[in-house]
Amino acid sequence: MVIDSAVAVETRPVGGRAGAWWLRNLEVAVPAGVVALVVLACFVGPLVLPIPPPVGGSVLESYLEAGSPGHLLGTDPNGNDILSRVLHGGRASLTVAVAVNLLGLVVGGTLGALSGHLGGITDTVIMRLLDVLIAFPSLVLTLAVAQSLGASQTNTVLALAFFSIPAFARISRAATLRLRELPFMAAAQLCGTPGWRVLTRHVAPNIAPQLITFGMLGMGITIVIEGALSFLGLGIPLPAPSWGNMISQGQQSLSATPMLVVWPCLALFVTVLAFNLLGETLRARWSGR
Amino acid sequence: MTAPTKGALAPPPGTGPDAERAPGRLAELLASPGVRLVGKRVLLAVPILLGVSVLTFWVLNLIPGNAAQQLLGPEATPEQVRALEQQLGLDQPGYARYLGWLGAAVTGDLGTSLVSGQPVTGQISERLAVSGELVGLAFLVSLGLAVPVALLAAYRPGRMFDRVSMLVSITGLSVANYVLALLLVLLFAVELALFPAIGFVPVAEGLGANLHSMALPVAAIAFPLFCFYTRFLRGDLVDQLHGEDYITTARAKGIGPWQVLLRHAFRNSSFGLITVVGLNLGTLIGGTVIVEQIFALPGIGQLMLQAVNTRDFVVVQACVLVFAIVAVLANLLADLLYAVLDPRIRYGGR
Amino acid sequence: MRRLRLRYPVALVAALIGVAACGGGGGGAAPGASPAGPPQRGGELTVLEDVAFAGGWPTGLDPATSTTGGANISQMSAIYGGLFRLAADEDGANARVEPHQAEGFELLDEGATVRIKIRDGIEFSDGTAMDAEAVAFNFTRDVTSTCTCAPRWPLAENGITVLDPLTVELRFTRPYAALINSFPVSNVNWIVSPTALQQQGPDQFKITPVGAGPFTVVSNQLSSELVLTRNPTYFKADRPYLDGLTFQSIGGDQPAYQALLAGQAQAYEGLSTTPLLEAAQQQGRLSVTVQPPTSPYVIQLNTKTGPFADPRAREAVYAATDFDAIAQGLFRGLYPVSQTFTGPGGLFHQEKVEGYPAHDPARAKQLVGELGGLTVNLGTLRSYVAQQVMTALQTQWQEAGITVTTETYELSTLVQQFNSDQWDSMLQTAGAWDPASGVGVAFRFRSDSPFSGVADPKLDQLLDDAAATVDQAERARLYTEAGEYISDNAYAPFGLAFAAANLAAEGVHGPGLTTKIPPIVVNAGILWDEVWRAAPQ
Repeated sequence: MVIDSAVAVETRPVGGRAGAWWLRNLEVAVPAGVVALVVLACFVGPLVLPIPPPVGGSVLESYLEAGSPGHLLGTDPNGNDILSRVLHGGRASLTVAVAVNLLGLVVGGTLGALSGHLGGITDTVIMRLLDVLIAFPSLVLTLAVAQSLGASQTNTVLALAFFSIPAFARISRAATLRLRELPFMAAAQLCGTPGWRVLTRHVAPNIAPQLITFGMLGMGITIVIEGALSFLGLGIPLPAPSWGNMISQGQQSLSATPMLVVWPCLALFVTVLAFNLLGETLRARWSGR
Repeated sequence: MTAPTKGALAPPPGTGPDAERAPGRLAELLASPGVRLVGKRVLLAVPILLGVSVLTFWVLNLIPGNAAQQLLGPEATPEQVRALEQQLGLDQPGYARYLGWLGAAVTGDLGTSLVSGQPVTGQISERLAVSGELVGLAFLVSLGLAVPVALLAAYRPGRMFDRVSMLVSITGLSVANYVLALLLVLLFAVELALFPAIGFVPVAEGLGANLHSMALPVAAIAFPLFCFYTRFLRGDLVDQLHGEDYITTARAKGIGPWQVLLRHAFRNSSFGLITVVGLNLGTLIGGTVIVEQIFALPGIGQLMLQAVNTRDFVVVQACVLVFAIVAVLANLLADLLYAVLDPRIRYGGR
Repeated sequence: MRRLRLRYPVALVAALIGVAACGGGGGGAAPGASPAGPPQRGGELTVLEDVAFAGGWPTGLDPATSTTGGANISQMSAIYGGLFRLAADEDGANARVEPHQAEGFELLDEGATVRIKIRDGIEFSDGTAMDAEAVAFNFTRDVTSTCTCAPRWPLAENGITVLDPLTVELRFTRPYAALINSFPVSNVNWIVSPTALQQQGPDQFKITPVGAGPFTVVSNQLSSELVLTRNPTYFKADRPYLDGLTFQSIGGDQPAYQALLAGQAQAYEGLSTTPLLEAAQQQGRLSVTVQPPTSPYVIQLNTKTGPFADPRAREAVYAATDFDAIAQGLFRGLYPVSQTFTGPGGLFHQEKVEGYPAHDPARAKQLVGELGGLTVNLGTLRSYVAQQVMTALQTQWQEAGITVTTETYELSTLVQQFNSDQWDSMLQTAGAWDPASGVGVAFRFRSDSPFSGVADPKLDQLLDDAAATVDQAERARLYTEAGEYISDNAYAPFGLAFAAANLAAEGVHGPGLTTKIPPIVVNAGILWDEVWRAAPQ
């Protein structure tokens, strides 16, 4: 449906109607725009704007107020520019979130699709194994593991991705099962299409929208959980910034220096909100209602 | 999803020539699909619990880092460390330790803390009440508020209440719970002095004081979950109301909008809600770790965090196991509830 | 209508910012405490302790087995009282170790023999007598304990003897003049009731210990909450003033500060976050007492193996480090910078060391160039303030061309690093009120200490001599020489002498809490039996 209407718009004459798509689809355009803005700001911003690096600040410039020369949002206790740390932190948080959800989507999605498609014993075994994971309070175990294996971006990504697999798998499996009811699937099988082909050419593109929307929602959740890990000292290690560890650092003197917390919180909030809105809207669109 | 037709599948209970044949009725009950389903689910929980225990033990014992060293403190010699390792059985192979641990755990002995020498089971049971109350209240509050708000929102979708509640809920979802906790303390405890910032008052010292001390921690955990459930339920209800044939039928029959909402749409949406609640139990339980830390509540989350920091992996293992068992059992309950509510399952149709 | 959707979140966020900003400046109550009139009897007090340090007592509160005794001196002194304790004038001057449950002591044979006289008539809270037998029992137990917290006394054979019902004699193989000054932070200061120990057994005793201090244990949840009540048989008449005392662990300075403002507790020990300190001082509802600093920061360098075995690397670090900037930027100039292991609040303080290598970035770069590059790792304990200092140092060293990786450790992993000799540099604190006591200098600089980066017999000799001699002037001279020796060999740059602050609610008064007492090691030893609370108006 969405594809159709987009195509329909593009074939219309340019004059007077060309910009209308985003106006008529504000609920997709605005969050998508915000996400794009955030991504641009975090990944491209530091390269283009005259911002100092996020680490290596002079300690003599610590605790500067917002609006100080050269520091739009002020500086942190080590003299690092807060705006720079927010942008670079966004890079780190977003990278982790994308990696986690991509990994979860690919691995979990495949697992779930396989499970749903093959059915039988394979299905039961895979689902039971995943049930064990789902039952687990993930933060709890991730803590214990991160404590000893050490905090690093890679470990964080792996641990969080590991725990996001069951959810993706469940969604993928449910979608695959629903898909099996449809006539074209039966047709494919009657034609003698081999299993893997069915999966890649028929199942995958059709369950992709649901997985992607779930992934969008997962972005927000992952960014927040990474922050929780950093809060307990087990996420992305200092002095490299991530929104999570900036909040965890700043909150240690919250009563005296609230702005150290407010800026990363705002960035976090806006980004997560945008992803959530985008995910919700896409879900509404793509589930055909 | 069409409404089930009851009569077709099984003889209605209580009728038929078996008033005298009570054992026959019992057998019937046992053979009924509902009970069989319950039994199956319960049985399935056992391997899941085993799997959970394996995962816990395995992951935690892969951990490098020397528990014996930590126990003896900074000035231990390598010989002392080795001796203690032997004494604690840390030098045995993994599977032997796992089986030993599992055997003990089943009888209720969760080991002895490496750091304090106290039996872990005792420490956990002391703190169970606190964490249990926190989780329970958070669960009740989040669900108890989410359902009416979602119902009201779905009743008039697109109107002011719906928009406001959806905005508030998506805002709440996007704020990290630890930041929320800190801000709650700043606002309600420090500025307004309405609630205590830290500490736990046991029920024995007064239910009112107890609830008062739990108000902010519960709010910190419950609010994001409330937002999530509200959004979910409202979305599902609206989907039901707008898409399903049986709703159209009901309305055509002249059933009022509230009735349609409550009796029909909500009943069906509750399945999805139950599933989602079950899936989020891990988050609910995990949230206690941070919140107990911030509010200085003597619960299992706090115990676990301490144990993680002092490398007391016996305690960590035990805490993770307890958390996981609670999560599995709660999921099982959700599954059973699901089965109970869905008459098709109860009567064997699928 | 769609545009409205975005306005709500913005409004909400603005509200949140408003609240957060308010949190900093709130509270306009009258500044200053109520006049410190005559102490009042009665009342209960809740004290918060940072769970990362004093608020953690995972191994219990039995002095013979507690590995965190040095951090838990508040809890210990409340339960056990203590043979000796450190007292000072209200402004922290004239600090001296006073006998408390001990009545006095004698040093004989130039300090090789110490006689401690116990005060007559002291009873443990279970009614049994605290006499020389009990004290000797405790000493023996502590010294022979397998706990790594056992004091390392150079005891002679059968060195602990009971001379008469109130006198214990200790004989050492060499003079140990600093013994008495070490008592207040050592586990041997806390005397347990042998009877109660036997009745309960060691595993239960460490949970519900029995001593002769101002308070007795009601309940004890390890590293979480310790509830104490007044000991009616305390040896000082009319003391303690308080009816009840509760120690509660808290996650850090910020939650503690909030809890105090919210009225949930009445005291907090060990505030180290500078912005909060300033906010507390400005805000006026709490009394803020900054203790005289006794332990300066030190950057321990591993001179035994690794990159710092080369003296030029060590000199490069001295030249690259600028603690004055750190003191100014991170700590707003509140704390003085030391060049040796003593601080202004401690004994034998020496402000400047002759020939101390100054901050000289050009020289640092030159040295690094000579070395052909320098790559090191720098570690510290997981503490908010220590991490900030470490980050600042990393920046400074990197400007000189040194490649630095940083690492934060929990206490246990820190211990492992030290034991395995895999560390290059560690940011720690060194020194104590008396350099010979506790986690003092020997801990960090003696060749036989696993936590030392130095193995130099000459330094060992200097430190031993200083600990042994009774003559204070001679001790001062020896410590000065030791400081110069460390500086000449570029063994470890010293930093600012930092002391934590204690916060107290209005109406709360007490020595060490609202007056200054130099911390023997980290936290000031609060004299709990003298703490009192004015009845709320």
